[in-house]
Amino acid sequence: MEAPPVTVMPVTGGAINMMEYLLQGSVLDQALESLLHRLRGLCDNMEPETFADHEMVHLLKGQQGQPFLLRARHSLSSPTDPWHLRYLGQPEVGDKSRHALVRNCVDVATSQSLPDFLNEMGFRMDHEFVAKGHIFRKGSMKVVVSKLWRVLVPGNTENTEPLSLSYLVELSVLAPAGQDNVSEDMRSFAEQLKPLVHLEKIDPKKHT
Amino acid sequence: MSGGPAVRVSIESLCEKQVQEVSLDGMETYVPPLSLSQNLAKMAQRIDFNQSDESEVEEGTSLESEWKQEQPQVEAEEDCQEEGMLHFQPSLWPWDSVRTALRSALTEMCVLHDVLSIVKEKKYMALDPVSQDNTATKTPQVLQLVSKKRALATAASVLLKGAERLSKSVCENQENRRQRDFNSELLRLRSQWKLRKVGDKILGDLSYRSAGSLFPHLGTFEVIKNTDIDLDKKIPEDYCPLTVQIPSDLQGSAYIKVSIQKQAPDIGDLGTVNLFRNSTVLISNIHPRYPIPFIHFCSAQNVLLCKEILAQLSREAVQIKSQIPHIVVKNQIISQPFPGLQLSISLCHSTGEKAQRCSPDRPDDHLYVLEHNLHQLIREFHKQTLSSVMMPHPASAPFMHKRLRLAGPLAYNKNQINSLQQNEGLLEKIIKQAKHIFLRRRTARTIDSLASRIEDPQIQAHWSNINDVYESSVKVLITSQGYEQICKSIQLQLNIGVEQIRVVHRDGRVVTLSHQEQELQDFLLSQMSQHQVHAVQQLAKVMGWHVLSFSNHVGLGPIENIGNASAITVASANGEYAISVRSGPESGCKVLVQCPRSLNKDQKCDVMQDARWAQLRGPYREVQWSRMEGRNFIYKMELLMAALTP
Repeated sequence: MEAPPVTVMPVTGGAINMMEYLLQGSVLDQALESLLHRLRGLCDNMEPETFADHEMVHLLKGQQGQPFLLRARHSLSSPTDPWHLRYLGQPEVGDKSRHALVRNCVDVATSQSLPDFLNEMGFRMDHEFVAKGHIFRKGSMKVVVSKLWRVLVPGNTENTEPLSLSYLVELSVLAPAGQDNVSEDMRSFAEQLKPLVHLEKIDPKKHT
Repeated sequence: MSGGPAVRVSIESLCEKQVQEVSLDGMETYVPPLSLSQNLAKMAQRIDFNQSDESEVEEGTSLESEWKQEQPQVEAEEDCQEEGMLHFQPSLWPWDSVRTALRSALTEMCVLHDVLSIVKEKKYMALDPVSQDNTATKTPQVLQLVSKKRALATAASVLLKGAERLSKSVCENQENRRQRDFNSELLRLRSQWKLRKVGDKILGDLSYRSAGSLFPHLGTFEVIKNTDIDLDKKIPEDYCPLTVQIPSDLQGSAYIKVSIQKQAPDIGDLGTVNLFRNSTVLISNIHPRYPIPFIHFCSAQNVLLCKEILAQLSREAVQIKSQIPHIVVKNQIISQPFPGLQLSISLCHSTGEKAQRCSPDRPDDHLYVLEHNLHQLIREFHKQTLSSVMMPHPASAPFMHKRLRLAGPLAYNKNQINSLQQNEGLLEKIIKQAKHIFLRRRTARTIDSLASRIEDPQIQAHWSNINDVYESSVKVLITSQGYEQICKSIQLQLNIGVEQIRVVHRDGRVVTLSHQEQELQDFLLSQMSQHQVHAVQQLAKVMGWHVLSFSNHVGLGPIENIGNASAITVASANGEYAISVRSGPESGCKVLVQCPRSLNKDQKCDVMQDARWAQLRGPYREVQWSRMEGRNFIYKMELLMAALTP
């Protein structure tokens, strides 16, 4: 049964400027089970969903100093699903009291020929990795617990080794610009995960 | 001492004798003093042989010497005093007590001597130490009192300490029990409902949000510790250590009422038609063992769900374009499934404190099936939001239906996207279901009314148990009583849909009837009239008569208002008689019989000489069918055929 058309469904694409609100944290491998249990209890009641994705980051070096970054991601566990192309802008510098990292986000679903297309456009693959883990959702919030694996031989996703002994935890919401209650909800949700994992705003610029 | 001549001092004892009498001449008569023996006797009487040894020894030595001296004197006077003893018993011989005491002492000494000699042999007696009896010891009473007092004081202090500890632990237990009760109740509550701590308040979630609902109502309730309990008084039976505060708009109980009525004559009446007045019993159905907060939660959650259903229906009623617009009035949605009919869906919310028994509605009023279906449909929608079809693969993609995600890569156009998303909302589904239910009920009523009105032929309806929400089926058989095996040619399968009824005949014809009641009735009536003719056809086969002609729809004779008349002509085996039947839905059955000419005596004709012309069948004569014997048409027909067969 399809969802009826007259309910609140997330609107993506089009002329609406979508922002991604993000909080990140990490847990060690030993703490994974308890974190999953807690998330299972806090989030919406569904069967636990696992995923295995392969992401390639493409760079376009222009005349300006800053290269243009695009992320191409596809699922290894369901290969027939479309590829996902993502552009993430610079984090919004707004007031410091905002609890989550806010940045402009454009998501596009594409067919399987995406890497070739990007190569033709002039993008060069910078790095790639495999992410495996679990997805949870609570309303419009998405919690992704994933382990990153380094691809040893480029293009071969079978030959991987884990990047670290921990799992990356990301709490994200896709919402139109200007909704500040979203970050409040994210903060209160992060509070509930407090002793297990500390989700906080991590500025990517400070870590490059 | 000065030296001087010694002075002679002479001492003389005073002669102190008692005066017995004083004579008249002044001469005093003295009591003679006791003689020595008398004096000794007096002394001996004063001997107490029971005194202790020390005192005895002292007195004994002083008296012993006197006694030894006067002993011979005692024995001498013994005899002369014995006579005095006999006469004057109380004044016994003063030495008698002494003598008996000595005698008994001697006896005892002898016994002791014997016992000691026996014990020394150790053959017949042995010595054992005797346990010292301390209470027999004579301690001074003051010392005893003091020691007893001290002992009692120690015992009392021990008991008091124990009692104090006991009372403290009882108090703690009661306090703990109250605390533990609150904690255990809170734990039990948490095992069934979502609770979280915000600041110092405990809030809970009543809504269906975690089950996939997108209704904006938060549905939070607050849990408060019940501290107004007096531990000294008896705790009441239904005491609960925590109370819950449910939002005011969710209190009470509610249900959705779906009903179909005749259309209200005035549009102003719409808002007041069939609105609920009494509160219903919703609480008594819940198991009595569940605590009070649980019951309140269930009814509050139900209220929330009913509100969501009505909000969804109202939204759809306003947004979806339909030929006859739906009317949304306060808590009620009114739509017209069929002309002249009105479907009303209303939210009945009562906030009464007491649960009263409501007067039962008319059974046709409430369409409980639809109310249940509404709940199921909204839950289906909730589940759809949560299904794994919405989860993104790859994980960075936004939440969206799986098929919709393909719209971009596969370049769907607007129509294709619409077809993906287009489906019926809650309101449309419910209206369709209501239409079907109504149509089914009316069909059943039509068939039943026909069956009760018309006895010949009989109409039977076999309803299928397995139905769909939008489709039901019934098999209608038209038979004659007693001749079911012979005349079973009319069997109709009716498939009742949402707006139409599809009839499949046994011989393969398919007729589609609209929702009009009259159409079905007319159709059935025409089938019944056709059945009579079919029955005659079958009967003729059995009886051995030949069918000369048969027509389902004759073009001759008066036009029927409903359907067409059918006719059959059958001839007897020897050809002499023929029966012709014309049956119409309105005109009924007309039976004509053709007899051979030879029977018609009065029509003698000179033209025809040959006798064989007399064997031809003559003119038709109508049978007065109502005067025929027989309970139904086919029975009468059989009798007629039998009568005409020689």
